[in-house]
Amino acid sequence: MRRRATISPDTTNRTAAETGLDRARKRLKPPPVPTDDRARSRLVLDTMILHLHPARIPQRTLKWTYTWGLGGLAALLVTMLVTTGVLLLTNYTPTAPDAYLSILALRSNVWFGDLLRNVHHWSANLLIVVAVLHLLRVFFTGAYRPPREVNWIFGIVMLLLILGANFTGYLLPWDQLAFWAITVGTSLISYVPFIGGWLGSLLLGGPEVSGATLLNFYALHISFVPLSLFVLMALHFWRVRKDGGLTLPRAAGEAPVEKPRRVTTIPYLIRRETVWALSWIAIILTFSVFVSAPLEGIADPNLSPNPAKAPWYFMGLQELLLHFHPFVAAIVIPSLALAGIISLPFLDHLTDHEGIWFRSGRGRSLAMLAAGCSLALSSAWIVADDLFLDWAAWLGNWPTIISNGFIPLAIAVMVLALLDLWVDKGLDGTLEERVLFLFTFLAVSLVVLTIVGIFFRGPGMELMWPWSIASGH
Amino acid sequence: MNRTRRIELIIGFVAAVAILIGLGMAIVGEPARIATAEDEILATQIDDATAIYAEQCSVCHGIEGEGIGSTPPLDSEALSTTDSDTLFKTIARGRFDTAMPAWSLAEGGVLSDYQVSELVALVQNGDWSTVADRVVNLGYAPLVPFTAEPDPEIFSEIGLLPDGESLQRAVTTYAAECVACHGADGLGTTLAPALNDPVVRAQTPDEIARTIDLGVSGTLMAGWDGTLDEATIDDLVTLISRWDEVPDGAVPAPDVPIPTTEESIALGESLYQANCATCHGVDGQGTGRIPALNVESFLLDTPDVAIEQIVTLGVAGTPMPAWGDRMTEAEIQAIVGYIRAWEPTAPAVATPAPRGGPPWMQADQLVLDESEPTDWRAVTLIALLLVASSAFVAIGLSTFRRRSKE
Repeated sequence: MRRRATISPDTTNRTAAETGLDRARKRLKPPPVPTDDRARSRLVLDTMILHLHPARIPQRTLKWTYTWGLGGLAALLVTMLVTTGVLLLTNYTPTAPDAYLSILALRSNVWFGDLLRNVHHWSANLLIVVAVLHLLRVFFTGAYRPPREVNWIFGIVMLLLILGANFTGYLLPWDQLAFWAITVGTSLISYVPFIGGWLGSLLLGGPEVSGATLLNFYALHISFVPLSLFVLMALHFWRVRKDGGLTLPRAAGEAPVEKPRRVTTIPYLIRRETVWALSWIAIILTFSVFVSAPLEGIADPNLSPNPAKAPWYFMGLQELLLHFHPFVAAIVIPSLALAGIISLPFLDHLTDHEGIWFRSGRGRSLAMLAAGCSLALSSAWIVADDLFLDWAAWLGNWPTIISNGFIPLAIAVMVLALLDLWVDKGLDGTLEERVLFLFTFLAVSLVVLTIVGIFFRGPGMELMWPWSIASGH
Repeated sequence: MNRTRRIELIIGFVAAVAILIGLGMAIVGEPARIATAEDEILATQIDDATAIYAEQCSVCHGIEGEGIGSTPPLDSEALSTTDSDTLFKTIARGRFDTAMPAWSLAEGGVLSDYQVSELVALVQNGDWSTVADRVVNLGYAPLVPFTAEPDPEIFSEIGLLPDGESLQRAVTTYAAECVACHGADGLGTTLAPALNDPVVRAQTPDEIARTIDLGVSGTLMAGWDGTLDEATIDDLVTLISRWDEVPDGAVPAPDVPIPTTEESIALGESLYQANCATCHGVDGQGTGRIPALNVESFLLDTPDVAIEQIVTLGVAGTPMPAWGDRMTEAEIQAIVGYIRAWEPTAPAVATPAPRGGPPWMQADQLVLDESEPTDWRAVTLIALLLVASSAFVAIGLSTFRRRSKE
């Protein structure tokens, strides 16, 4: 009550003598001026929020099970990463042996040093998961179709930047884990045709991971990658509003909503965002108090661990390398995947089923079918390749890039084509259903590859049970 | 709307309280955490330093830092209370006019500054009985006496050479005092250069005598003028100047076999898997044209010394490199011990993997050992995978059919 009274002292009683001219004059007056500090600060805050958000949003888009708050969570994580990252900068030396010593000092000499590092580490890892889930959400609700195709591409570039930020940050502790993961990860660059060697020495600052690499990665990690990310984030947020806000969620079979009911952003959206942000800050903080970011012994270029694994988010790629010639695994397949994912909104551009999870009830069944097929086929392929598939021996006289690269790739593509044919003819699927099926199939394959790479590969990258790796046999 | 609002406010409140509690716990626990982190870091550094000590320092300072001969002990209270800077500089830069060389890479040594600081932590805080266990387990002990017996037949032959008695006396002294570092027949080891060498012989007797008298500062070579009398040093000078006349085999290598222990086999295994397995196979079964090691014909016919020599010198004309350039003697002996441990179970005929190279070309990846009891966790996991994928397919297909009819 009191608040309202202070905000609008101007609502004078409308008297009978008031003319139309008076009313018009009153409308032209500037908005009521707040008179106390509380109202003033509130006005400033609200205005700031309304620079980012529209004043009113469709009530439907508030639905938790539609967006899962993933985009906002990603933005929160970036904010936390910048905050903790800037603080970490004050205690870090980007030169070869001293980097590790500064991490040790952070642990033993700096109050909250470990907490800061843990929050930064876990937020960074969570950001990858959240960004990927955000991408999946946008795909499965069809929210990437025109006019949102530009924002879809911004999003993919941002995902690549996030991976880049994580990868460059991985080296900075300069421990054994960092050194060898980056050595494994960057070794793939040499397979880029024509310019691979040049590109590798540009990135590493020499033929192998060294102090120069650390300085390069440090520079990329604290300037280039975050700056690009900020620019793209701004563009991404701007495009969301430019494209008319979020797609409107609706149930399968429900007709598009022409005039959705709107609610004001303050307080309905802001309250949710605050609650969501507070909850995740609480989760990350508590987790970081109890679980430390990994830190091994100082990097030793002469002592390679067995197995030497890339960072976990590249384990799918490293697993792929065990099954295909490196040129196919590291260059051809990722390029095809990237090209495919960028061209999705141009292939699948009909907006009929926008805002419906999995397009329709049929779509949901198809996605489930695709997940099941992928789970079975990709794990079967991994085991079969390990047990008896031996292209290089069967086609002994052929160069391995053909026998172990393009031939298995062709077979994999053929399997996909057959599945697609089945969905197309056998199940009478539409274009968008075929796209949905293939995307789900490939996404689940990537998850399977990543899990196998992380948990089922022991010394020598041999296929092993996780508990056998843990017990060392 | 009101109900949602209330739930949201409650969640927000709980989260805010959780943040405060989390921060509070971090604040309260911080001193303890810092203390634990310090202890952990110190323990890791001492552990690293112990391995370095075993490899580099125990030769002179003894297996538990007790000091050998004129080398000072390290397990003294005076040293453990010396300030870090002095200890760091002593290790990094060596001590002039003593056998203590400079160890820092910047001074031409082999240790990084970080490793030197780890050694400082060991000297200040180390538990020397643990160090002794490690040194013994890594196969660097016993180190004394590092002496050899001159071959009697050649010894009497030497006596027939001009000035033979002097040479004989020198050979006896060499076998007792010098062979540990300068090696059999003066051919040198990883610790010290060869003396039986034209370059050394080209020096004048005075130069050689000065080196023995005063030592070479910055290396392990101490001054011997306090330990050996002038006549003995003169004999040694004669021997070094005329070693080309002495028949080969006069002073054999000191017979100090490095014992095979559980830890040395583990060291051997990790070295083997990192360096040898690519060509010789993970289980020594050989790959392609690279010979198998885990096979009776090899293990029964080849004594340890021969394997050690093959590993150290390599085999000319084959892809087998000389590992002596890259590994210490103890490391090579650990590998030999690991290979030797295969002997009881070695098959009569080896089945080499098709060839070396990337994992996808190696046939024996998933070893199905039928003698092992059934691994129920594995069975459960496979069953779960099958159930999950078939359930997805079944539910997907059936609901799809139903919906298609609608």
